[in-house]
Amino acid sequence: MSRALKYFLVVVALVAALAPVYWMFTISLKSEVDHFALPPPWFNFTPTLEHYFEAFVARSFGQYLITSAIVAVISTLCALVLGTLAAYALARFRLPYDLDRRLSLWILSTRMFPAIVTAVPLFLMMRDLRLLDTKASLIIVYTAFNLPFVVWMMRGFFDEVPRDLEEAALVDGDSRLGALVRVVLPLVAPGLAATAVFCLIVSWNEFLFALVLTQTDASMTLPVGIAGRVTQYEIKWGVMSAAGAVAIVPILVFAMAMQKYLVRGLSLGAVKG
Amino acid sequence: MRRKVLLRSSWLPYVLIAPAVAVLVALSIYPLIYSITVSLQVGEAWGLGNFTRLASDGFFLTAMAHTFVYAVAALTCEFLLGLGLALLLNNQIRGRGFFRATLLVPMMLPPVVAAVVWRLMLNPNFGAINGTLKQIGIDTESLTWTASPGLAMLSVIAVDVWQWTPFVFLVLLAGLQAIPQEPYEAALIDGSSRWQTFRHVTLPLLKPAILIVLLLRTMDLLRVFDQIFLLTEGGPGFATETISLYIYRTAFRFFDFGYAAAMSFVLLALTNVISVVYIRFLKHESRA
Repeated sequence: MSRALKYFLVVVALVAALAPVYWMFTISLKSEVDHFALPPPWFNFTPTLEHYFEAFVARSFGQYLITSAIVAVISTLCALVLGTLAAYALARFRLPYDLDRRLSLWILSTRMFPAIVTAVPLFLMMRDLRLLDTKASLIIVYTAFNLPFVVWMMRGFFDEVPRDLEEAALVDGDSRLGALVRVVLPLVAPGLAATAVFCLIVSWNEFLFALVLTQTDASMTLPVGIAGRVTQYEIKWGVMSAAGAVAIVPILVFAMAMQKYLVRGLSLGAVKG
Repeated sequence: MRRKVLLRSSWLPYVLIAPAVAVLVALSIYPLIYSITVSLQVGEAWGLGNFTRLASDGFFLTAMAHTFVYAVAALTCEFLLGLGLALLLNNQIRGRGFFRATLLVPMMLPPVVAAVVWRLMLNPNFGAINGTLKQIGIDTESLTWTASPGLAMLSVIAVDVWQWTPFVFLVLLAGLQAIPQEPYEAALIDGSSRWQTFRHVTLPLLKPAILIVLLLRTMDLLRVFDQIFLLTEGGPGFATETISLYIYRTAFRFFDFGYAAAMSFVLLALTNVISVVYIRFLKHESRA
């Protein structure tokens, strides 16, 4: 295959990947008259921020944005603390009856359940606990959802830290946990950061549980807020695009920041990238 | 020395693992058990009514068929396109890092944003696709995409391919780059053709990565909910209703939680069986 053809194909793939997203950005910046212009204006239109003002000032998208951020950050922190401790134990201790390996696999398998399978009973449970339509219900569910992922990722990162370093610290009189905090955690910090970013993205993007567990503006996350507009009879395309554009920003920043770990995270550590 | 350390802190691993296990039992295992009890109740009585109902429910069977069509079509396209792109970018070409980073964008999008993006692209009145087609003189009167019974399934599959081909590409590219140079040099010396090299060197060495990516995509495709719910809500009519959407509708529109739970166990069993088959293959591969 000639070099030129190769580059041509790559550019086609890039345009196919990006043009639709760019189109949404243009809609969010066009006044409503320009939405229906023919031929569709890709570049020459007068940009306006009116839709952004309408979405985040006049309507409740600002509130959804804050809810999304709160839920994502708190659930990520919970999953990181619980998951890192468990991962450390599973990476470093050999338990009787092969328990460490079996527990690891069991923990991973809980992540494999289709979301809709747990969504039905979780809705009923949250209803019984009177937690429906609260941020707490989403934080709890997202923590559990991200936990297997944290355990699996962090176990891999702990495995890569040579045991000698910890043993030296233990000989020097550190406790096991002291060695974990002072010696091991600094070494796995990049992995911990990558795992955190993954959890943040998953929580930020999550749709089904948020759809099922929230009902009012008080607990709605940004995806559910946007979806509410998508399925309404009269659709405000500009407002929706503006909200969508804002929802992408943190994802893009995070994704670029941790590109290196992306493959590994997405394939649950099965392929090291 | 190590044995001593382990003995001295034999209680520690359990203390560290217990909280995580407790959370998962409470929020993954308990819900499943709860779901079983819900599925075994018909009204006030206990029984298998919800499960026997499945066999005669035409909507359920249609939703299953849609799920398979969706999964097979999307998986095939994503795999072929992803493999092609990975092979293309595995060669040393300039700006590979940039291309790789940019191709990631679709799959990182929140599903709801991907849906908004494609609702705008496919909109019959002002969408970029019909707009462009009109510009080059094609009649777009009948091309209503997600609103047309004939094209809706094609549309949602295309959106899935758009969003998830980059994932297949990424995993396969990582797999390709992990293949050592020696077998290629040997193939070169043996004078094997490009196709032979691909068939007998690249493909076997890439097999573990291929199996992993097919496994992960198959699982996601069989449970697909977000994109379809947001693009068509299963419609028009029932044209794009997959099993997850039908479960959702049964539970949260018709409030028939028992029947929804019964159907969700069918989905769970299906995904389990398929993942076990894939994992068998994987184990076989790593032993061979």
